[in-house]
Amino acid sequence: MTVDNKDRRLERIDRGIKVRSDGVYAISSWLEMSYLVAPRLIFILGLLAAPVLLLPVPYWQKVLSIICMYSLLAISFDFLANYVGLVSLGGGFYIGIGAYAAALLNMKFGLPPIVTIPAATVIGAIICTVVFLPCLPLRGVYFAIVSLMFPLLAARIIEALDIFGGTDGIVGVDGFSSPWIEQYVLILAVLIAVFFLRRMITEDVGLVFSGVKDNDQAVKASGINITRYKALGIFIASSLGCFGGAVLSHIYMWAGLSQFALDFSIIPIAATVIGGGGTLIGPVIGCLILVPVSELLRDFGTLRIAVYAIILTLFIVYKSEGIMVFASRKYEQFERWVSI
Amino acid sequence: MFEAKGLMVFYENMLALNNVSLACAENQIIGVFGANSAGKSTLMYTLSGIMLDIQKKEEMAGGERITIRGEIFFNGANIMGISPAHRAKSGIVLCPERRRIFPESTVLENLRIGGYLAKASQAKDTLDYVFNIFPALKRLSKRLGGFLSGGEQQMLAIGRSLMAQPKLLLLDEPLLGLSPVIQYLLAKSIKSIRDERGASIIVSEQYARPIMPIIDYGYILENGAAVVEGTNLELMNNPDVKSAYFGS
Repeated sequence: MTVDNKDRRLERIDRGIKVRSDGVYAISSWLEMSYLVAPRLIFILGLLAAPVLLLPVPYWQKVLSIICMYSLLAISFDFLANYVGLVSLGGGFYIGIGAYAAALLNMKFGLPPIVTIPAATVIGAIICTVVFLPCLPLRGVYFAIVSLMFPLLAARIIEALDIFGGTDGIVGVDGFSSPWIEQYVLILAVLIAVFFLRRMITEDVGLVFSGVKDNDQAVKASGINITRYKALGIFIASSLGCFGGAVLSHIYMWAGLSQFALDFSIIPIAATVIGGGGTLIGPVIGCLILVPVSELLRDFGTLRIAVYAIILTLFIVYKSEGIMVFASRKYEQFERWVSI
Repeated sequence: MFEAKGLMVFYENMLALNNVSLACAENQIIGVFGANSAGKSTLMYTLSGIMLDIQKKEEMAGGERITIRGEIFFNGANIMGISPAHRAKSGIVLCPERRRIFPESTVLENLRIGGYLAKASQAKDTLDYVFNIFPALKRLSKRLGGFLSGGEQQMLAIGRSLMAQPKLLLLDEPLLGLSPVIQYLLAKSIKSIRDERGASIIVSEQYARPIMPIIDYGYILENGAAVVEGTNLELMNNPDVKSAYFGS
């Protein structure tokens, strides 16, 4: 049967296996179970196996650590922007605070990395939350501007007052005892962050978060203190960033002003756009693409920023839904022509 | 003058408009009645072309796929693929649901934004006309749009669409959220706009009582399909319409 283009349309329908594996029937057969588990397992096992696979090229092992560090920031950006409604450009601030906290704990008190990293995560997140507290009533672009100011502010204060080593930074921080620990700490952190947040956003507290994003006045009218929830959101997001920063300072054995750099604020946004906002896994995929691309383009010097900008523009114009949204739609639905 | 044939709109797999055809002759008021989710707003968006915009946005964001089928003729030309801005330029002006006035601009500024396409003399003339039929707006002309009451906002929205010199004015739920007295006043103004400006009007509404007397021809939408049509007397005497819209 030939149908004229005018009399038919492309219909999207959920795959049968998707519908079957939606409810409790998911455990009815191995096929349905593997349909659910396979993509998650590929993601988890792929990340866990990556350091082993990259064994012949140690340089790319280092890149993997950087990818994971950016992934943590991108996840925290995605969580704040798409579930709490705060567009935060404070990635550099989180990293810097975490890095300086870990370095100071290590140098001044002689604590080993196994203590400094969790301590720096919590202390850094508390500092970030307290600093952001006065800005929480702000929304949208105002919050974004203020959060962008903090990393610049912190760097200039350290430079001007010449505290914490001034422009030289804190040199001589303990490194990790083996490169394996350094990579797996970050990989496990990414996995835990992704799956913890994915679980949390479907719990009660996650529903309040999305309520704050959609209509904060309605949430207030329900008798919920939105500032407390926003502070909690900042705490969770900044703890991810501070963790990344703490690990970073132990990897580089140094904490310095460049850890307040603007890159830490900008690249996570780019990764979230490319990977697909609101999916939490998408930002990780975005980092897996963007960071290696930027490493490959290192020979071109500053031109890589231009390439970066072009990739980002093309994505926003032609595929602004992001890779993850696109892929999960293809995985869950099929299309066919139907006549109308 | 204006005719839509076989309009079909799908939101993903949901049929929002099912083979709706309607026609509007010169200087007529056409009523489209229906409950919530009957497809009134979808129809208005499709006629004004805003639906093309929504379709594009959904596609960019990876949301629902919107399929639009059918034909719309305006003065003999098929305008189905034409952008909402060009449709407005050619005289099809939508006064959107829930007013959508510019809250940070004053009443006068709102009206002048509406008159962007008009010639200066036309704009001045229409402005006087708007202040004439809605005297309240003249008194409030320095007030910010966001601080107006619901009824004043609706007057402003209608006034703003008049400033665009419509040949066909599409009013989407003009009586939404207004008190019965203001509803009747607005219905009267809609009729006088037709009589004095010579514009054709298509008005979609759930409150049939104030609007039904002023229309020339009406359509009843139900689940996206036009189930009943007729002149206002025919509709008012139809027992189904009576029980659904006049409660007797």
